[in-house]
Formats: sequence, structure tokens, C-alpha cells
Amino acid sequence: MAKREAMKVLIAEDDLVTAKLLERNIKKWDYEVVITRSGEEAWRELKQDELRLAILDWMMPKMNGVELCRKIRQEKKPNYTYIILLTARDHQQDIIEGLSSGADDYMIKPVNLLELRARLEKGKRIIELEDTLLESQKRLIELASRDSLTGLWNRANVLKFLEEELEQGLRENHPVSVIMVDVDHFKKINDNFGHCIGDIILAKVATRLKKNVRIYDRVGRYGGDEMLIILPNCSLEDAARIAERVCLAVSKRKMKTSAGFLPVTITLGCASSDHFSQPSVDGLMQASDKALYKAKNQGRNRIAVAKVTHVLIKRQKNEQKTLF
Amino acid sequence: MNYRDALERIGGDEPFLEELLNLYLDDFVAKSVRIQNAIDQQNFRQIEELGHGLKGASAILSLGPLEKASFELEMAGHERDIQKAREIPSLLKQEVERLKDFLAKRKETPLCEERIGE
Repeated sequence: MAKREAMKVLIAEDDLVTAKLLERNIKKWDYEVVITRSGEEAWRELKQDELRLAILDWMMPKMNGVELCRKIRQEKKPNYTYIILLTARDHQQDIIEGLSSGADDYMIKPVNLLELRARLEKGKRIIELEDTLLESQKRLIELASRDSLTGLWNRANVLKFLEEELEQGLRENHPVSVIMVDVDHFKKINDNFGHCIGDIILAKVATRLKKNVRIYDRVGRYGGDEMLIILPNCSLEDAARIAERVCLAVSKRKMKTSAGFLPVTITLGCASSDHFSQPSVDGLMQASDKALYKAKNQGRNRIAVAKVTHVLIKRQKNEQKTLF
Repeated sequence: MNYRDALERIGGDEPFLEELLNLYLDDFVAKSVRIQNAIDQQNFRQIEELGHGLKGASAILSLGPLEKASFELEMAGHERDIQKAREIPSLLKQEVERLKDFLAKRKETPLCEERIGE
């Protein structure tokens, strides 16, 4: 098993002797140490995300430990910083003030090194626990965003991406295209071979789609056997070329299933925001759906693009509307 | 100085204790100048901070009399008592000289008395 990277500890201490003593011992305990001599310097260093453990002296020039604690807590970094406040002030009121400022722990000088080591280990455990929780949270978000069968983005997310890309496209004046994909005769596949085979086919189609789009395109499962590809900064002509490529990638090799090698084809409908005066998610979805319908009527296993004249006429009408 | 106590506190590493003591003495030279400036300018906040810092370093090294004098300086700053503050630097210097003597003697005869000024 690979050795874990040493956790970094920031020490904010203006006294040379104390700083040296802490640095030497904390390094011996397998931590990496960053020494700072003032609250301001510590604040600059703490902006690094990997600095998660901090030992702050209370009395320091310019910004003291308590002020620094408050600043760290107000900042709300994505990752928690565990803070041990060091001080010679041992009155109950001082301890309350120190902890209330946001410190997690409090040690009275002169520091007992064994005790400091145990307190640092406690801090490290809490940081590691937080990392585990954040990782789980990330995994849950990922799971909730994905379609469990195909691994594609789910409907809600792919529509959210489309909305975001449309907004960005409008800001930066570049087109966004969508391709609606439908697996041909999918009902027949399910009826003839069962839903398990149907599921395998959907997953395999999804894989081929992902492999044949650009790295920054997004592929989602729209529902049933319908999938959606979002293509940022892509004209209708380019979207049509990508759709042709995807169509061929699915049909050119039969798909291996437990029921044997099955021929699978898809039909695709393309639409692009550059043919709308006021592009919207609904408008693009409707246009790509109409194109898909047209391609199906023409015999499937093919692509069709949204009727440009139709949307252009719409745009002209809209422009006229704005004129009056 | 309570040498044994200091040695125990830093984990029994004698060369490291010597390194810390040398660091303390070097830093004291710089701190003395700052203390005197703060007193001359009647900068009570700085007097208090410098006294506090020196007190912490003295405590780590079990330098009892220096810790006590530093605390006096910190209190003088806190209480804005310039008269009291003016008395401390000479006391600190005197204690530092005693520490230097003790360390020199310790080098010559390591078995000498390990506690001074307590």
C-alpha cells in the first residue's frame, strides 16, 4: 500500500524558541511543517487548501491568534481547518474567548509535547473523518446525477447542462447544438429478447455514444430509449457531422449479448441554437425532436437536422415583433 | 535554570536544548533593543507583547527568574507603568549574564549544580 502523504501543519508563532521546539518535534511525528511569524503571514499561507491543521499563538504582531481564528471561520473554506490555540493565558475567560473565536482546541504554554502530539492526532482524525464524509457526499451527488443503467447523465442534469451551455453560448456568442437519439425498434428488442437484453443494448449504445462525441460534449439519458447529446460551441453542420459519426459507430458492429450478436441502429435528430433568435431549452428540444421524427419517417438508422427554414421564419417573425 | 526540567520538557535531547538556549540568547539581544525602544517610546502595548513573548520562551527553557522578570515587564506594559517597565531591562540583562555563566560552567564541569537562581 502506498504511504500516505504527510499532513501539513501550519505554525504561527513569533517566538523563535517556541517555533523551533514545535517545528522539530512536529516533524519528528511525521507531519510536514510550515512556519509563519505573524498572523498576517499565517493567513496568507492558510489560503492553500492542503493546510488543514494549524497551531496559532494567541499573541502575535499585527493579527493575533484569536483574530486569525475568526477570520478563518468567516472565510468558510471548502475544507475545514482544525485550529489549536496556544497561549500563556490560562484564565477561564481567556479559554472561553479563545474557543469562541473558532479554535477547536486550546493549550497553555509552556507546551507539554506529549499532550500536543495527542491533540494533533485528534485534529488529524477529525480532518480525515471530514475527508471521508466529503468523499461520500461527492459519490452520492455523482450517483444522484447519473443514470444507473447507462452511466450517462440523468435527464435532470443533462437538461441543466443544456440550460447552462445556452446561457454561456449567448454570453460568448457561440452556438450550442443538441442531438436527440432514439434506439430503433427498441420495443421489439425487449419483446423478442427480454428486458435484460434491452438493458444491455442501452448500455452499449451509451458507451458508443460517449466514445464518439467530443471530450467536452455531454451525453444523457433522456428517458426510455432516448438519449440526448449536448454540444457546446457547435454549429448545426458540425452537429450533423458528429451525429453521422455516432450513427455509424452504433450500426457498424453488431452488439454482443447473451442472446448472440444483435444488429442495433439508432436514429438522430439535430438542432442548433444559431437558428433561433431567442434560443431556449424547450425550443431546441422541440426542434431536435421534430428532426428525429422526420428521420424516423425517412426509414430510421439515419440523421436529420431541424428544418432551418422553419426556425428562420420563426426568427423573422420574432424580429418583426420586436420591430413593432 | 532548572536544566533537568527543561531537558525533560524537550524530550531529553541535550544538543537540541543547547541549540534552543543559543537561539534564546541570540534572540535576547534583538529583543533587548526592541524592549528598550518600546520603553523609550512608552509604547505600552509593545512592552506588554515583548514581555509576554519573552516569558513564553523563558518558560519553555525553565528559566525561572527570566520568566518572572518577563512577566513583570508584561504587567508593566499592561498597567501602563513606565517606572516599573524601566526597572526590568537591567534585571533581564543581569539574569541573562547569570545564565551564560551557568552554561559556561556546565560546559567545563557537566556535573555542577543544575539549578540557578531558583
